[in-house]
Amino acid sequence: MTTGALIFAFNNEQTDYVTMAAWSARNIRRHLNIPTAVVTDAQPEDPRLRGFDQVISAAPASGGTRWFEDYQATVTWHNAGRTDAYTLSPWDQTLVLDADYVVASDQLKAVLNSDQDFLAHASAYDITGVDNFTGLNEYGEYHMPMSWATVMMFRRSEHAELIFDCMRMIRANWRHYKDLYQIASSTYRNDHALSIALTIVNGQTLEYPSIPWNLASVTPEHTVTRTSKDCYRIDYVDQDKRPRWTSIRNQDFHAMGKSHLEKLIETR
Amino acid sequence: METEKLVAHARARFDHAAARRTLKEKYEARMLFAHGGGMWRAGTELQCVLLACAQDTDVVLLDLYETPVRVNVPELFALSHERWQEQMNAWRVEYENLNKNR
Repeated sequence: MTTGALIFAFNNEQTDYVTMAAWSARNIRRHLNIPTAVVTDAQPEDPRLRGFDQVISAAPASGGTRWFEDYQATVTWHNAGRTDAYTLSPWDQTLVLDADYVVASDQLKAVLNSDQDFLAHASAYDITGVDNFTGLNEYGEYHMPMSWATVMMFRRSEHAELIFDCMRMIRANWRHYKDLYQIASSTYRNDHALSIALTIVNGQTLEYPSIPWNLASVTPEHTVTRTSKDCYRIDYVDQDKRPRWTSIRNQDFHAMGKSHLEKLIETR
Repeated sequence: METEKLVAHARARFDHAAARRTLKEKYEARMLFAHGGGMWRAGTELQCVLLACAQDTDVVLLDLYETPVRVNVPELFALSHERWQEQMNAWRVEYENLNKNR
């Protein structure tokens, strides 16, 4: 069975996702020892693509625009192509990772070794403990449980294919599903599409396997810097507006603030 | 009572508690491993179950996804024990460093 990691990287006005993905690919190879592929609209001769085992050319699909706290700007969000991961992946078993997910350990090997056809995180938390993620771990008026599309593992199977087909259906009829689940934001999000798809495909039972640990996250308001290999420092402001910091070592995390991650990659 | 001292102490305790929580999340995640088609959490509970089955070579156990999985007891016990102690040791080292730094 072939296994690899797939990263989507479509640059927008503010963020260089291709550089971010190239950096991530190196981390993935170092810790997980699996090949990587990038789905991008960058030119094939782009030197940043040399670090990938495969380059899959695709046109960006915009999911709308979104306000990014760290950039203090509204930017185009090319997030909609992720629903095509099943079709685009060249492998039997695929780990789909956000370009801003930092692999700093071999933790995801447990997911790759599991027997499940599809896994994603069911819960995320703020590493600093400042932000309460309760509201982010659910969606809509009816407090449905969120599944995070930041890390997805799937194996070629009818079950996984149906999940991605369903995500595409939700994306195509986003207005309907947004109204059905009474989701306040009109912007399409992969997390919402995945959560709804998992609910539908699993027979509305809300019982389905997930990655059995919580997704460590750094919010855009907090700054991430690299102190040494696989060690990061997170600077934040507490509720009394006082500066604080914490550090993490050999721990994967989702850097929700893309600008900080970009700076960190530039200065590595 | 010096309020400033109290506030500084409380803040230090808050930071320490936050760092402890982060460590706990990290090492609880590291206790998870896949084996024999099942997903397992290394730790006292699994060790106790496996010890209770020590007279058998193969048993069927419910994994984390509530799937009955046939496992080789000595093999799973060895793997689980190794991971549990390896990660607990790493946790202790990081925890002691944390206490020193604070």
